[in-house]
Amino acid sequence: MKRHGEQNHYELMEISPGASPLEIRRAYKKIFDLYQDDSIASYSFFSERERREILARLEEAYLTLIDAESRAAYDRGLMERGLLEEEKQYHDKTKDPVPIYDFKKVHAGAQGPLKRQEEMKRRAAQNPVIQSILAQDRIAGADLRRIRMEMDVPIEEVAAKTNVRMEMLRAIEEEHYDLFLPRVYMIGFLRSYARYLHLDENIAVGGYFKRVEERKQV
Amino acid sequence: MSNIWSIGGGKGGSGKSFFAGNLGILLARKGYRTLLIDADLGAANLHTIIGIPHPEKSISDFINKKAGTLEETAVPASTPNLFLISGAMNNLDIANLAYEQKMRLMRNIARLPYEYILLDLGAGTSFNTIDYFMISHAGIFVTTPEPTSIENIYRLIRSVYFRKIRQVVKTHDFRILTEEAGKRNSSATVSHPDVFLQMVKELDPEKGDTLERELQAFQFKLTLNQLRKQDNPKTGELICKIIERHLGLKMSFAGNISFDDHVHDSVCRKVSFVDCYPYTQTALDLRECCRTLLEDVEKHAIVQAVQKRVDA
Repeated sequence: MKRHGEQNHYELMEISPGASPLEIRRAYKKIFDLYQDDSIASYSFFSERERREILARLEEAYLTLIDAESRAAYDRGLMERGLLEEEKQYHDKTKDPVPIYDFKKVHAGAQGPLKRQEEMKRRAAQNPVIQSILAQDRIAGADLRRIRMEMDVPIEEVAAKTNVRMEMLRAIEEEHYDLFLPRVYMIGFLRSYARYLHLDENIAVGGYFKRVEERKQV
Repeated sequence: MSNIWSIGGGKGGSGKSFFAGNLGILLARKGYRTLLIDADLGAANLHTIIGIPHPEKSISDFINKKAGTLEETAVPASTPNLFLISGAMNNLDIANLAYEQKMRLMRNIARLPYEYILLDLGAGTSFNTIDYFMISHAGIFVTTPEPTSIENIYRLIRSVYFRKIRQVVKTHDFRILTEEAGKRNSSATVSHPDVFLQMVKELDPEKGDTLERELQAFQFKLTLNQLRKQDNPKTGELICKIIERHLGLKMSFAGNISFDDHVHDSVCRKVSFVDCYPYTQTALDLRECCRTLLEDVEKHAIVQAVQKRVDA
């Protein structure tokens, strides 16, 4: 075994040259306890001057090794003198963190909820069939159904998203007036329906009820 | 050849006799023919610890030549296989043995036909104490986890180390070396035997090698006695570590012995502790310690055999 004064930083701290920063920290704590002023185990073994010297050496070793840059420089020095082999040197093997849930991940071919809304809006605005229906003075239940089919939205989806019962939606599309609730409710249902399909609510509601008035008079 | 173990400790009251007595009983119980020698001639009380309040014969009989051989002064203890050469009822001036008497005593101890001989040494670092280490194969150092005791144990270990050096290096050379060491490092002769050894190696490599081998053949062992609950149980290992790092000595830790008030009771009753309170933690610690020491003997024998073959 080498004499205390001739040891390099690793030997002094009793760690391998491949020790990780955490191991260095632990080793320093352990060895510091051994030499500190009120350590009972080393009581009277060293003179005050010797103890100071040892503690200073330990501190220097610790501060050199705990900092990645100064440690690399120290290792280079050791390697130049042939005291350390390159493969024994410390390499940071910690991996980058990987999220368990990746919210941005998209399944192949599928559309995210946001994208789908965008897509629906675009279709509502550009589809010529929808535009021509909305341009009519009166809008029938069958017209609404046609719009919905053009936009490829099942009636179940509308029911789930708008919280309007399916019977009511069917009654609107099939014009079963006998099933209608008081008008104020029906206006609300229709607005929700139109809003979900990205149609102009006023046009849709206005056109639909114009036709309802006419049919009731007949 | 018998295995001679010296049991020493710098400070009085650290439990040397307690440890020696109980270790002797445990070794005897394992079937080894064991002899305890009370070498603390001025203040002998090993006989009381193992429950022989009035031994018929003592070491004085040999020194005064009342008994023909040292062997005759051994009295059997109540444990089978265990024998004691007591220091009781000595002459009052016996603590200051003349050099010739001491040498004769030590020569005879080394020749005794037992498997294990335990020498219970007195406190302090006088020649009368540390010379016994020279005829021993192992030194068991007993300390308590207190600064006073640890301070003394370091002192004793250094003295023994130093005495070993003096044994190998002749008196004349030694003076020259001391002067040389004094020039290089003023504290070398007192507190740094390792510096001294290094220097011997530089000046006279052959002698340095002999010395190093001599030091390796001798086993330094440490046991931490009277460990109370609030003490750090790692203290013993830390002491061994310091010795290894700074004196270049291989010191093995034999174990902690817990503090127990019952030790006091057993001494007052003049019955050995392991017989009196076999189911205490302290008795368990003693048995564990004995086991560790015996294992070390085996390991050491193997190492020495290999060493011999390498040398040949």
